[in-house]
Amino acid sequence: MTIEIETRGEKTAHGWRDVDGFIGPMQPGFGPRTDPKGAFPTGPDVGEQLPAFSCLDVLGNPFDYAHDAKPTIMLFFRSAVW
Amino acid sequence: MQLQEKMSAFDALGISVLAISYDEPDALKDFQDAYGITYTLLSDPDSKVIRDYGILNTLIAEDDHPWFGIPFPGTYVTDSQGTITHKFFENNLVLRVGPEELLRAVDGDALSEYIGNPVSDTADAEPKVFLEGEHLAVGVLQHLVCQINVPQGRHLYADPAPQGMIPFTLTLDAQSKLVIRELIRPASEAHTMAGTGEVIQVNHGRVELRLPITANAAITSTTEPTMLDLSGEVSWQTCDEDVCDVPRRSRFAFNVPIEGAVVPEFMTKPGNPKVRAMDGMNHFKKMSSRRQS
Repeated sequence: MTIEIETRGEKTAHGWRDVDGFIGPMQPGFGPRTDPKGAFPTGPDVGEQLPAFSCLDVLGNPFDYAHDAKPTIMLFFRSAVW
Repeated sequence: MQLQEKMSAFDALGISVLAISYDEPDALKDFQDAYGITYTLLSDPDSKVIRDYGILNTLIAEDDHPWFGIPFPGTYVTDSQGTITHKFFENNLVLRVGPEELLRAVDGDALSEYIGNPVSDTADAEPKVFLEGEHLAVGVLQHLVCQINVPQGRHLYADPAPQGMIPFTLTLDAQSKLVIRELIRPASEAHTMAGTGEVIQVNHGRVELRLPITANAAITSTTEPTMLDLSGEVSWQTCDEDVCDVPRRSRFAFNVPIEGAVVPEFMTKPGNPKVRAMDGMNHFKKMSSRRQS
């Protein structure tokens, strides 16, 4: 899949206005505003199992996810720092 | 933070909520403490899980620190067997699905009980418009909902309506403090007119239009509670097998509280009081340094 970068936007007195009209501090097409234009990968599909994975918890301890008979909301976000 | 506001509902429904990012564990711990987060925060500092899921933002160059390593942000919802039932990704990386839509994805019947929205009791084809949620927040998509109960034996026209008729439609007046997405319409049903045999697309019973909206970042320069005026128009027309009512248009106007964005200190001007309560600058420097080494 070839993914394009969304670069449309304009600078305003309050920040950068993106193609949706959203105004923010970062210029569209750069750094944390490297948004895809058109199709982009979104991982496992509806109907598939949520894949198991291993990572760390907030104390740095290993965390292993495996399905535990509960409905699950799994959220991938960019950063809590910025 | 909006997710945290609905944690009592997620807990009551027995839903596990996990949130993962490429932040270091101590940064997430600081974030957790600063905002009283009770859902599970997870650290993927080398973006291994993000890569394994196939959602690494590969548009960012590997030497573009500290941005490289973030995912295309998104959310998966599973049923109790672990099967993905919904997933939410946006091209605009600033926007994210609201907690109300996640609740609806897991258990639509429980939604009104836990978010306190009015349930339409209109019986005479009078539309009711409301925001699904208590307030708007910057970047969080929430739905402006328009419900109508079509009397038995009658129907509404789906879009596009036959020539000369009007479909059930919700429009919101232009508003610079909002980002407005495309109207979500319910699936329509094919209906064959008894007299002519013409097949048209209609809706029966309770019909709901949903307009995803979010507050725009331009509203964030104050710490005071702010109200945002929402106004617009609903148009509709009900018919039975023989007769159509005249087209109806109804204006609506109400206001909703908006919650300004809390921004990282280094992304805003000095003196902006709406900066993150955590020690973001320190974590940002550490994050940048680690990735450059």
